Amino acid sequence: MPRKITTALIDDVKEMVHHLATAHFRSLAHLRYGDVRLEVAEGKAAAAENGASKFSGEDYGFSFGIRVLAGERMVAPGYFGRSLGAADLDSLEKILKEGIEKAYRRAMANGELKATVREKFGSLGDSLADTRLHPIRVSQDLVPAEYEIDPRTVDLKEMERYTTDVSRQVGALGDGVKYNFISTMTQLARELFASSEGALIDQAFALTQGMCYVVAASNGTSQELYDVLGHQRGWEILARGVNEPLMTFPPFVDFARSLATEAVELAAAPALPSTEGEVVVVTDPHYNTLVSHEIIGHPVELDRVLKMETAYAGRSWLLRGLDEHQVGKPVASPLVTAYSDPSLPGYGHYKYDHEGTPAKRVVHIDKGVFKGFMNSRQTAAIFGGDPNGHWKATDSSLVPLIRMSNTVFDGGDRDARDIIAEVDHGYYLVGHRIPSIAESRENFRISARKVYEIRNGRLGQLYRDGGIMADTKDYLMKVDAVGSDFRLYPIPTCGKGQPMQTKKLGNGGPTMRSRARLTGPVVGAMD
Amino acid sequence: MPTTSELARAVRQAFEYLKAQGDIREAEVFAAANGSLLTRVNYTSHIPCNGVEEPKSTESYGIGIQAVFNSPEGLKVGFGSEPSDLTLEGARRALEKARQGAVHDPEFHSLAKPTGEPRTLTDYHDPKLLQVRDEELVENGWKVVTGALRTFMASSRLVDLAGREAAVKRLGLILGGDVTILQERIALASSHMPEVQRDESTLIMSFLTAMVEARDAKGSGWSTGTRLDHFTDEAGVDAAANAIQAIGGERVRSGDYMVILGRQPVTDILNNLVLPSCTASAFYSSSTPFLGKLGKPVASPLLTIYDHGAMPGFMGSKGITCEGLPTGRTNLVRNGVLVGCLTNWYEAQRLLGDPKLNEKLGAEPDAARAALVPRNGFRFGTGGGRMFDTQPGVAASNVVVEGTESVPLEELIGRVRNGLYIGRIWYTYPINGLRAGDFTCTVVGDSFIIRDGQLVAPIKANTIRINDNFTRILANIVGITKDVKGTLVWAADEVVYAPEVAVRGVHVDEIAGFMEDLT
Repeated sequence: MPRKITTALIDDVKEMVHHLATAHFRSLAHLRYGDVRLEVAEGKAAAAENGASKFSGEDYGFSFGIRVLAGERMVAPGYFGRSLGAADLDSLEKILKEGIEKAYRRAMANGELKATVREKFGSLGDSLADTRLHPIRVSQDLVPAEYEIDPRTVDLKEMERYTTDVSRQVGALGDGVKYNFISTMTQLARELFASSEGALIDQAFALTQGMCYVVAASNGTSQELYDVLGHQRGWEILARGVNEPLMTFPPFVDFARSLATEAVELAAAPALPSTEGEVVVVTDPHYNTLVSHEIIGHPVELDRVLKMETAYAGRSWLLRGLDEHQVGKPVASPLVTAYSDPSLPGYGHYKYDHEGTPAKRVVHIDKGVFKGFMNSRQTAAIFGGDPNGHWKATDSSLVPLIRMSNTVFDGGDRDARDIIAEVDHGYYLVGHRIPSIAESRENFRISARKVYEIRNGRLGQLYRDGGIMADTKDYLMKVDAVGSDFRLYPIPTCGKGQPMQTKKLGNGGPTMRSRARLTGPVVGAMD
Repeated sequence: MPTTSELARAVRQAFEYLKAQGDIREAEVFAAANGSLLTRVNYTSHIPCNGVEEPKSTESYGIGIQAVFNSPEGLKVGFGSEPSDLTLEGARRALEKARQGAVHDPEFHSLAKPTGEPRTLTDYHDPKLLQVRDEELVENGWKVVTGALRTFMASSRLVDLAGREAAVKRLGLILGGDVTILQERIALASSHMPEVQRDESTLIMSFLTAMVEARDAKGSGWSTGTRLDHFTDEAGVDAAANAIQAIGGERVRSGDYMVILGRQPVTDILNNLVLPSCTASAFYSSSTPFLGKLGKPVASPLLTIYDHGAMPGFMGSKGITCEGLPTGRTNLVRNGVLVGCLTNWYEAQRLLGDPKLNEKLGAEPDAARAALVPRNGFRFGTGGGRMFDTQPGVAASNVVVEGTESVPLEELIGRVRNGLYIGRIWYTYPINGLRAGDFTCTVVGDSFIIRDGQLVAPIKANTIRINDNFTRILANIVGITKDVKGTLVWAADEVVYAPEVAVRGVHVDEIAGFMEDLT
């Protein structure tokens, strides 16, 4: 076996892992299902602050995770995960077998106690059920990564120089820029999935990202802005930008300079006044990226819907019980269609999820009517419907959760300029900033990077520190225009699960128009 | 997992190797082994479920090296690590990565040096928590589930609501959350502290949410501790009892209220807003609302906040930081005045060397030095653990909130007379950036209407949103209770020993009216 950990390692261990997932799993007396996930990543990163280099590094990631469903009286799950290193290579098969044994012991103990509690608690025990997975087409496949500049070939010193230069250029924009932090990363990862059902899926992903955080100030007022440029591609996306039908970015240095320029401009702008009542609001594709994430994507994750996230990420207003939900009912204006689609490009793209389910588009809202959820095999077995491939983990050692792929508002047929031009008086929100969403996603407040007043169809005064607040269903029902300018953007840090898993995924949408309350700053004790 | 002695041996060997390298000016070796055992709970009486959904664990160990290299371009600082290898070969690999990635950082002064403070906390962990069997992991999850189920079963109120005992399950009883055991072992040595130091810490905690969903009633329960023997079903029992107590919740109109913030809201506001504003890096980057306020009032004179990483028996206690410095008490706010910052060595040194120190912190170097003692340089991973593969960041440990003239809760409710008791908030973020101080969150459970000095009715879950500014909240504190309890919020590094705090003029907006008509 090689002593250096590279993504090529997957070729060397694939057969061994496949054998463990089939022959070894099947030797366990009460096993109903088992899978192994093994992941190798090779990555590089650099960071700079205020024009000075702070860090650069090149490293690998190597980890595995085991899932077992087993039990004698009742079937229950057990899991085990671990990070690995080069020193583990010679004993990898033994380590994986030990992980399987631990997951199996946990599942067996879990099934036994589940049966005991079910017997002990009368009707309250009735809902304790065997763990079942919805059947899927079992796949064996090899999925290559897409890139022009291989992340493994990028020179680390050049990456450090580039990152520091971007930070220097942002700082050189003037005295208004008080602080900037720039980071870049590029990596190639390869994920192997093997199951007791015979699946063997080898998927590779390239991922490159540039992040800019900037603090600008003017006359005691400051603006902290943050944004990322990212794609499942190689270093070329930072050097040259992205010019695809659904995703467009300038080169990273221009992206970062533009964000800093915006922060300086905003620091000198007046604060947005709040309103007591609703006003007309037009929201741009970048703002709607976060709206689609928060009020479409999260409430249609079926684990959350089935109350499995009650203590953490919350529930969903779309379902109270298995026979009391919004499927088939109007939840938005007929102009609104929304879906999740792993076949779209960007951070949310993949072919199979982390239980080997072929990923496919799932429509959540079709012309205003609610249609269905993102799911996993376990949740599909409970709620019904075919698995659509949205069970994903941040790392192989962690247990997957239902996560968004590319969750978006579909584009409409209106020219975005006309959507603004038709407004006598309203507000235009440009760029998302920070969200706060109610527990079942029934209400939201999301701040925008910039807010312009619209008067007689034209953009007027620019405001800082503004956003909107609305009840989700009311807001969606009041959408009266949807633009044709659909765009996808990366969301780099979506948190869910316990322990918290921070995941990269995609969201997007077109320009849209609705009604909501404006929310501006509160006068603080420091003012 | 390797023992602490094995980690110490690896550190000693690696450090001797580093000393023999001609191009290294300073170096630090940090070895760690971490285990996170977590039993995730999901019980739903109206939906098929597992009860214990995920009995699971993750493990990692390895060695990290930070080195300062002499180079033709001047001093360069680099960090590298190697997982799963405590041999000299592992150290060589980590050093090579550090050398390959080393950069010239003009703000780097040195690796951590002794502060003169002594270590006060040793041998404080429970060895039993380092040897938990797979079966015990699962049993602890079922322990809290059965505690909640017993509480639900014993409730005559639920039977009354359902009409008969067999129909109680139709009320939509939910229990979610987890039991978590953290196992942390570290050893380290550096050029300025060449004697190998070691630390071992463990904790067990449970955080649960229960609901009677058909009545939109939600309650929470939690327990924290450092001893396996002390772990009970308390969190499950409390969560279920609090959910039952929340039945019959009422809506509250928009307006400004006198509010008592319960322990979870106090913790959530500290975790997301106040503590990030008290870090040295927030002052350095000009992103704190307390910019230039050291030695000046930032809160009501009733309020005192400090971090204490060396408190015996407290859940977030550690003997040493991940830079090898002693943990201890750092006063942040004393009687309403900002008096200190959370920092590690690097952040303290660069802020002290910043030409704009006075503008940013509001103090000259001597006063600033006393406020910037590096007792909080930790390498925490998400979900716990002291990670060998990251450089030290800044994190709080045990945060204690105290009041001068503190009173029992009953007296505080009586003083408030008419207002709201808010026991649990959600998604508390600085909506316009940290420095602006504006924040928003929704109220999700454990909350009540106060009328004529009494808790008279629960507030219906998810029906109000707080829209305010946390600098106003701090300034408008009018009372603080006596008793504190270790309180956790999702994905937080620190434990807050929080009292209940009364604040005047908190603005809330009524939300989600459409949910009343949803069919």
